[in-house]
Amino acid sequence: MALPKSHPVKPTIPLNYSKILLPRREQIKDMITKDGTYLPKSLLHADLDKGFLEFVKEKFNIVSEGKKIPVVDIIITTQNWSQFVETWDFQNIDKNIEPPFLTIIRNPEVKYGNNPAVMYNIPNRRMYYYMEVPTWDGNRAGADIYKIPQPVPADFKYTVAIVCNRMREVNTLNQRVLETFASRQAYQVINGHYIPIINDGFTDESVLDLEKRKYYIQKYDFTMMGFLIDSDQFEVSPALSRTFQVFEVDQRTPKRKQKRQEPVNPEKIYFDYPNSATTKEIHFDYTCNLYFEDSKNIGSYSVYINNQYYGDDVTLIQVNSDDLIRIIIIIGQVSEDPQLVFTQKLI
Amino acid sequence: MRSNVPITRLGKFFGDRDFELEVEMGQEWLIGDMNYTCVLYKIDRNKIKTDDVYGEVTEDGVKFLPPIEFNAQITVAAPENKFIGTTRMDQFEPGNITISVYLKTLENLNIDVDFGDYIGYYDSENFVRYYTVINDGRVISDTKHTYKGFKPFYRTIIAAPVGPNEFRGL
Repeated sequence: MALPKSHPVKPTIPLNYSKILLPRREQIKDMITKDGTYLPKSLLHADLDKGFLEFVKEKFNIVSEGKKIPVVDIIITTQNWSQFVETWDFQNIDKNIEPPFLTIIRNPEVKYGNNPAVMYNIPNRRMYYYMEVPTWDGNRAGADIYKIPQPVPADFKYTVAIVCNRMREVNTLNQRVLETFASRQAYQVINGHYIPIINDGFTDESVLDLEKRKYYIQKYDFTMMGFLIDSDQFEVSPALSRTFQVFEVDQRTPKRKQKRQEPVNPEKIYFDYPNSATTKEIHFDYTCNLYFEDSKNIGSYSVYINNQYYGDDVTLIQVNSDDLIRIIIIIGQVSEDPQLVFTQKLI
Repeated sequence: MRSNVPITRLGKFFGDRDFELEVEMGQEWLIGDMNYTCVLYKIDRNKIKTDDVYGEVTEDGVKFLPPIEFNAQITVAAPENKFIGTTRMDQFEPGNITISVYLKTLENLNIDVDFGDYIGYYDSENFVRYYTVINDGRVISDTKHTYKGFKPFYRTIIAAPVGPNEFRGL
């Protein structure tokens, strides 16, 4: 009866849901700048190669006969093999690498990528706004504008080969590959970027000649749908911190028709005397002339400015700023409330 | 087909006693003068540890009968510098060993060489290289393996080098 191994059993249950949708995208965006500057980290050929090497070491870590099957920890190129043979640690007495082992070969040619996320773009690699970063020079707050070019998609083709003597070793790697790529793609985080890897299939090149040493060689082909970002191409420029605006005007006098002045109806001042009152005072905060306009139910009236007699039944009162105008009336014969009306004209 | 019919071809000038004499003279040259030796590690098929499904030997699972040294004509092929498949990993692979052994020698030592047996050949005093038999040369009905067409008198065994993860000798 199969029993669960110790390592898949979770010691604790996660209390929070994993992030999805926009929060998850923000989480991935934060990964790009984690442990670095505000700018994304470079992603060049060597970074992607190293990322794939680590992917193989992590995902295809298989054990045979109680021993871990070693991975040749460099990407095999046509140049480096002879140097590497001096340093590898799983060689036999002939200084030949001893099966079983895994090795990674990268096709030298890297073609324009098929990653649809970055495949179609605007020509001429224009710089795009990436982030506005606040700055402080000791005196005033400002900001820097970070711009980066659009990443260039690139497809990296790799071959992972297992060379071994036993079918069980072939089976184990095959199981790992099929499990890892059950949904066709797997991902590797390289310098904070999420890079998809797809499995293109595999071939068998086992040496089955009768009169030769026999061993299995199975090769799995992968495509890493990467992209290239070069930090040397990033651009940081200061943003506007202060604005100085200059206007230039035409100093010549324009020839325009004179506007007709609109007739202005002067404001009226009312002196009301309700409830048989005969005295009314108004304080003026400005200088003006009061012209008599009309009166109702008033026999005569006397004008005082600042408690000094000014005149009776005057038709013009010259008022200065802060003057107190008092008008005492003699009520007429009619029963309605008396009222004096003056028109004021500001001076 | 086994039978006991006397061989009478070449009977006017060659016979069994001549054949025995030639073989003894050849053995005298090969054993007495040349003295090329190799060691046979005969697989003990009852004790060998193999995979249940595929029958492949596990590491250090090869069990063998007491090794036996025998004389033979040895030819070691030149090593090949080649890629492992198309992996672009080149290595200097040692060549096969071809062992020509008198049937009389095998008969005297009461040994036989089968597919999968291991053979050790000392390159130097302190280094032995092991090979696995990939052609036991059991079929000797060709004229080349007969003495002037009279009777077969030797076997040609071909063995390929093996790594220490497969066989490490004693």
